[in-house]
Amino acid sequence: MNVIDCKGLTKVYGRTKALNKLSFTIEENKITGLIGRNGAGKTTLLKIIGGFMRGTSGEVRVFSEEPFNNLFVSANVIYINDQMNFPTALSLKEILNVAATFYENWNHELANRLFDYFSFHQDHQYTGLSKGMKSTFNMIVGLSARCALTMFDEPTTGMDAAVRKDFYRALLKDFIAYPRTIILSSHHLNEIEDLLEDILLLKNGKEHLHIPIADLKEWAIGIEGLTANVNEWIGEREVIHLKNIGHDRMFAVVRNNFSEYEKQKAREAGLTFSPVSSSDICVYLTSKTKGGIDDVFIKD
Amino acid sequence: MILNMDGTKPIYLQISEWLEREILNENFKSDQKIYSQYQLAEMFTINPATAAKGLTMLVEENILYKKRGLGMFVASNAKEIIINKRKDQTLKQLVVEIVMEAERLEVSIEELIQMIRDANKREAGE
Repeated sequence: MNVIDCKGLTKVYGRTKALNKLSFTIEENKITGLIGRNGAGKTTLLKIIGGFMRGTSGEVRVFSEEPFNNLFVSANVIYINDQMNFPTALSLKEILNVAATFYENWNHELANRLFDYFSFHQDHQYTGLSKGMKSTFNMIVGLSARCALTMFDEPTTGMDAAVRKDFYRALLKDFIAYPRTIILSSHHLNEIEDLLEDILLLKNGKEHLHIPIADLKEWAIGIEGLTANVNEWIGEREVIHLKNIGHDRMFAVVRNNFSEYEKQKAREAGLTFSPVSSSDICVYLTSKTKGGIDDVFIKD
Repeated sequence: MILNMDGTKPIYLQISEWLEREILNENFKSDQKIYSQYQLAEMFTINPATAAKGLTMLVEENILYKKRGLGMFVASNAKEIIINKRKDQTLKQLVVEIVMEAERLEVSIEELIQMIRDANKREAGE
């Protein structure tokens, strides 16, 4: 079953298109990583899916329903970001108690255990928490709600490395115990990639790539060698990234569609192949030009 | 085992190689039930689908077999298959790399073979 169906979704703010004819589907009980540069449209997309706002045109279906102004979708979806609007009059413990009444599958025991583990104080106020503690509290709400569609938008903002690690493990353990559809947007792809089944890469408000994370690593490959040799081997292939090394050597990232025979020949010609990490592939795919920051510093 | 998280080797491959080592070390014997995808997912903090892919690879190579509703089990000749596979692929590839490096360093084949003999002696001496 598809939990999310998105067809030609466009969202226009003033003159900019935050989403531009975006189409994709997300299946039930998968963890999908939503990846993209700043301003790629991740938050806009999640807010539309969560029913917080409408798209300008196109179609979105969540559990086969239009999410905006929809009670069924609201009850089954939770959207966690770093600007959660919790009532300021309530203490942290009271927020959890109220949240428990909102969500049918809320697990109060899990909420309390996480609350104690991360050393929250029941009388404290949300507004008094540090950035990292706010994110940690949000995460507790997001996990304990056990919503059929759970969306975390940059959930680890401000968390220290130890808490981030705990969060990933808590997310995975609760997902195994209680499978649900999870969307995780993060800038730390290298940290979350092992948790993911699929990856949805956005670029300029469009779907750029939507594949299993396991395929992403084999999707592209790095080649290094003498510039002339590398160029010859690349031929007509799609180049994702190029970098000159020293005077006459070059590193290129291309689509990985070489045959084993071609690779062996290339090795004999002195080229070396190397795997490219998922997060590097994403950086290359979403960069605006084939070059990089170095190009800014080139003086004519 | 600690997974190599630098992103160069797919996690499902690391999982299947780790399971192969467990079988080679006889931590799992013939017809013994192996870890489920969920146990592996929990052990290594990875997505259960990734763990399943690692298991499926071993099923395709007849190292594991499925029993419907019961899980996956170690094939009776699993060890033999793993050893043959590693000889055929891993070891051959390593030899190609050693020979290439020797050429780059202008080490003769005789010298190289002597180095291998020496290494073997040291191994045996320990």
